[in-house]
Amino acid sequence: MAKAFMAFPELRNPFVAKEIHPEGSATVLYQGKTITLSEKGDGDGLLINPEYLRQINGFEIKPEGACFKDLCIPLNDELLIEQAGRQWFNLAAFADLLDQPYVADVAAGVWSFGEIPAKRANMMVDAMAPDLELVDRQGEVVRLADLKGKKALIVTWSSW
Amino acid sequence: MPVWQRIYEEINDPDFVLICAAQDTGGEAAAGPIFDAAKPTFIQVIDEDHLVSSAFNFVNVPSAAWIDEDGRIVRIDEGTYAKVHELGVGDQAISFGTNVYEPALKDWMANGAQSRYVQPAATVTGNIRKLSADQQRADAAFCLGNLFRRCGIGAKADQYWKMAADLNPHSVNFIRQNLTLSEEGSAGEQFRAMREEFERTGRDYYRPMDIEN
Repeated sequence: MAKAFMAFPELRNPFVAKEIHPEGSATVLYQGKTITLSEKGDGDGLLINPEYLRQINGFEIKPEGACFKDLCIPLNDELLIEQAGRQWFNLAAFADLLDQPYVADVAAGVWSFGEIPAKRANMMVDAMAPDLELVDRQGEVVRLADLKGKKALIVTWSSW
Repeated sequence: MPVWQRIYEEINDPDFVLICAAQDTGGEAAAGPIFDAAKPTFIQVIDEDHLVSSAFNFVNVPSAAWIDEDGRIVRIDEGTYAKVHELGVGDQAISFGTNVYEPALKDWMANGAQSRYVQPAATVTGNIRKLSADQQRADAAFCLGNLFRRCGIGAKADQYWKMAADLNPHSVNFIRQNLTLSEEGSAGEQFRAMREEFERTGRDYYRPMDIEN
């Protein structure tokens, strides 16, 4: 057996167990963001207060639909739902419509969303860099979109 | 990392941005000291959720994208080694990496769009990995596992990391990231078995680099 290297078994569980969110709320993961929703609607899918949509994935509710830049998805009664006089937006149904992958742990109330294909269409067709926002070790936000006018090399590596 | 710092200093161009992103769920504890040892002046990111890999459909490290002044990708998804690395001695000695990438990068700096290493959009889009619906879903499962791990819920963390590896068996990132948490680490027997399995089934450990020697 070769000597073990690049092993960090101590990192398997160095974390103190903690609640993901208070009772009655939900957590959404998307592009590195962890968003805690203080409430959600009852029923299938993930019914969120429509005001959270922009914070989660950049889409905004407008008269013509749920819109991000030039892309607008018309709203229907599967996306925008009335319950006891309140309006909810079904984020899971929206993901299905956009072919956006997601994995939900319903028992824990956590929904993790993958990339939205429509937001990356320019990369797959014209080789345009995707919208990507990272936070560096100094806490500064680095947006690929802000690097226009410069050449950039983005390299992944790992300690392992 | 020291090699990338040297290259960054040699290029010494205010209009060149180097971003090195550690795909490391171990966070600062795992990747921070390696960055610090290189005394880096380039942009350093500790990318616990492997967001850069998700954004560019990378499945292994090191991988990279060249992005030009207009935001267009002009090379993508290669085993981006800054040099040939040699580790170990005697019959344990291994070498990996390449010496052709650095001169290609410097040629791009010098010649811009006229560099022979700049690829047209059709080549680049052809080189971007096409992931199935399951493979794309794997990234969401991985991030879900990460959240559970950070919250100290190890069983669910393991469950969703396994789901991620099952959904995208081409991801070396997922397999080796998980192995870091084992006693044998990411370069032990299981890693060697995985490499043999990749070779046996014709899966690329890296997409072939099309830079001539």
